Amino acid sequence: MNLSDRIIAVAEAARPFSWLGEVTENKIREWIELEFGGDPEGERRHGDHSYRCVPLTPILHVVSGNTPHAALQSLIRGILVGSENRIKIPASDLPELKDFSDRLPVELKPQLNNTLPATWMRDAEAVVVFGSDETIRHFSATIEPHQRFLPHGNKISFGLVLNAFDEGLIARAARDVFLFDQLGCLSPQSYFVAKDSETFAAGLADALERLALTEPRTQPRSTGTAATLRAYREEWKYRAATEAGVHIWESGTSLEWTVIHAPSLASTPLHRTIFVHPLPDNLEQQLKSVRPYLSTVGVDRVDSAVIELAILLGAQRICSIGEMQNPPLTWHHDGWPNLTSLVRYVDIERA
Amino acid sequence: MTLEQKILQFIDQPAENGFEPLALEIYEFQRNNNAAYAKYCEYLETPQELESWKQIPGVPQQAFKRSELRSYPANLDTVEFRTSGTTGEGYGRHFFRSLRLYEAGVQRTWDHFRLPRHPFLLLMQHPDDAPFSSLSRMGGFLSDNIRESFFVAQSGQLEIERLRAVTEKFDVPITLFGTALAFLHLFESSQGMQLPSGSIAVETGGFKGSGREITKHDLYDRFAKYFDIETKSVWNEYGMTELSSQFYSYGVGRTHLAPPWVKFLVIDPNTNIEAALGEVGLLRIIDLTNLWSVAGIQTQDLAKAEPAGGFLLMGRDPAALPRGCSRAMDSLLRQS
Repeated sequence: MNLSDRIIAVAEAARPFSWLGEVTENKIREWIELEFGGDPEGERRHGDHSYRCVPLTPILHVVSGNTPHAALQSLIRGILVGSENRIKIPASDLPELKDFSDRLPVELKPQLNNTLPATWMRDAEAVVVFGSDETIRHFSATIEPHQRFLPHGNKISFGLVLNAFDEGLIARAARDVFLFDQLGCLSPQSYFVAKDSETFAAGLADALERLALTEPRTQPRSTGTAATLRAYREEWKYRAATEAGVHIWESGTSLEWTVIHAPSLASTPLHRTIFVHPLPDNLEQQLKSVRPYLSTVGVDRVDSAVIELAILLGAQRICSIGEMQNPPLTWHHDGWPNLTSLVRYVDIERA
Repeated sequence: MTLEQKILQFIDQPAENGFEPLALEIYEFQRNNNAAYAKYCEYLETPQELESWKQIPGVPQQAFKRSELRSYPANLDTVEFRTSGTTGEGYGRHFFRSLRLYEAGVQRTWDHFRLPRHPFLLLMQHPDDAPFSSLSRMGGFLSDNIRESFFVAQSGQLEIERLRAVTEKFDVPITLFGTALAFLHLFESSQGMQLPSGSIAVETGGFKGSGREITKHDLYDRFAKYFDIETKSVWNEYGMTELSSQFYSYGVGRTHLAPPWVKFLVIDPNTNIEAALGEVGLLRIIDLTNLWSVAGIQTQDLAKAEPAGGFLLMGRDPAALPRGCSRAMDSLLRQS
């Protein structure tokens, strides 16, 4: 199947999945043009020689059950470059991936398996893995030197508010927390606020409450998740009672959301538990250990100063608050180009 | 009569309906004398006067890492127990003005549940070698602090061969009491030991923070095989550094029962109010012998109240909380 047909097939298959973003034929063509600088299937001049892009195939994708976005994005990339795709899916299955695959023409359907056949690992020219540090290390130790390894580990994202803010910004910040139950690698775990951080936190609480009222959860939290969130919340209520600078806002007795204002950094259990910290003077030092895992920094104003700061902190993506969960199709997922990383460049030097 | 004496009297002769008035008196005492607890109660807008022991706020266990929870002046400390700090987040500290209530609770609870007064062989350190360990102190009280009864050396080494040699000399029933981890180490490091008929084993502590995963069923099977005893001869002691009292159960799948000076609630984590009978929730404990700190402790353990009394402990792994592709920061922040 040629590139044009693959583009049409992917756009058609993606149509029901609005949460994937704008995956249209035009957007895909634009994406390909941006990454390849032209037709990826032809020979292109490159200084004194030329090259062709040849898809790495087959691609082994290892995906986890809690990241259907990542699975679909990875498959789309593999299809567009023209590879055969084999996907190791979790034991709990991934219905969104199956639904998407069902919509593809038979020539583009990936092979799916709950277990990982040894031949899949052996034969893959590229291995794309989504998962924890432990999962990434396991596959890193397993691949052969000639195989291209593309790991997407778990990430941390946060927001920076460096200027005066209004209700509009706070509402957008709440949206970024609310989406996907704050479980995405692009979901903010904290907001660092330069001025009036407690006012920001209070406003964020109000905004989350409005969202919870208009978009209530359809499924109750599991007992285990609820227990962890409740214990976490009660611990922070104790801290709010006994420590200066700690404040907590909660969604009544439900576990819809929690906002915690704390002077120092803390780890969130997610599930819409968001920290607001006053911006420290030594943010870079405080985030030093976070740097290798940093993904997205959402900011109140994308200006040159904040860009330099976010890059210094290790950001792989800088965007406006409110757009953290909405990367463009053309984004560099975890810092590298998504399509060209799945091809090999074959240089052709003619005498 | 002082409040401590009233509690001792209640432990000695638990009067019917005597728990609640004593619990409310302890609440008032702690609210007036424990600054951190008072702040917490005010924050929760808990009234100064309560109508039911069920209204007594339970501090989260983590509070013992954050505050020095005393209901008396700090210069009157006699003992400090510390949590093990296995999760890498520092340790909790539990201070006592006196261990009279603690010791009375330990001894009377043992007898209340008719646990046998056999000679003790303790798989733990002697309290002199582990001064901050409440478990060692408890073992000391039960065994009259006889050093030879303790089989974990100051170095932390389990003295397996000495244990074997001493066990073999007994021709009367004995009680082996130790941490689940120590017993597991024993099972994995050595051949079985024959215990005198009528002996029991008491294990405690679980595997939190150890990286070991083993079900209670599997653990008790190992007890049975190693010691050639029935699983119903294996008891579990459920307690914590933050409490003074203990709960006991035996065998697998049975309820834990409280002595008369302890009551508990199961809190529905979704609503933060008492769960219906038989529903799983978070265990909150009101322990009258916790006079010198806080009587109400909110644990992170899941349990189900049983109609006949007591509760069933349900396993939970906090690390199993779904996180999507968002990485936890705790281990990273500890590096900072």
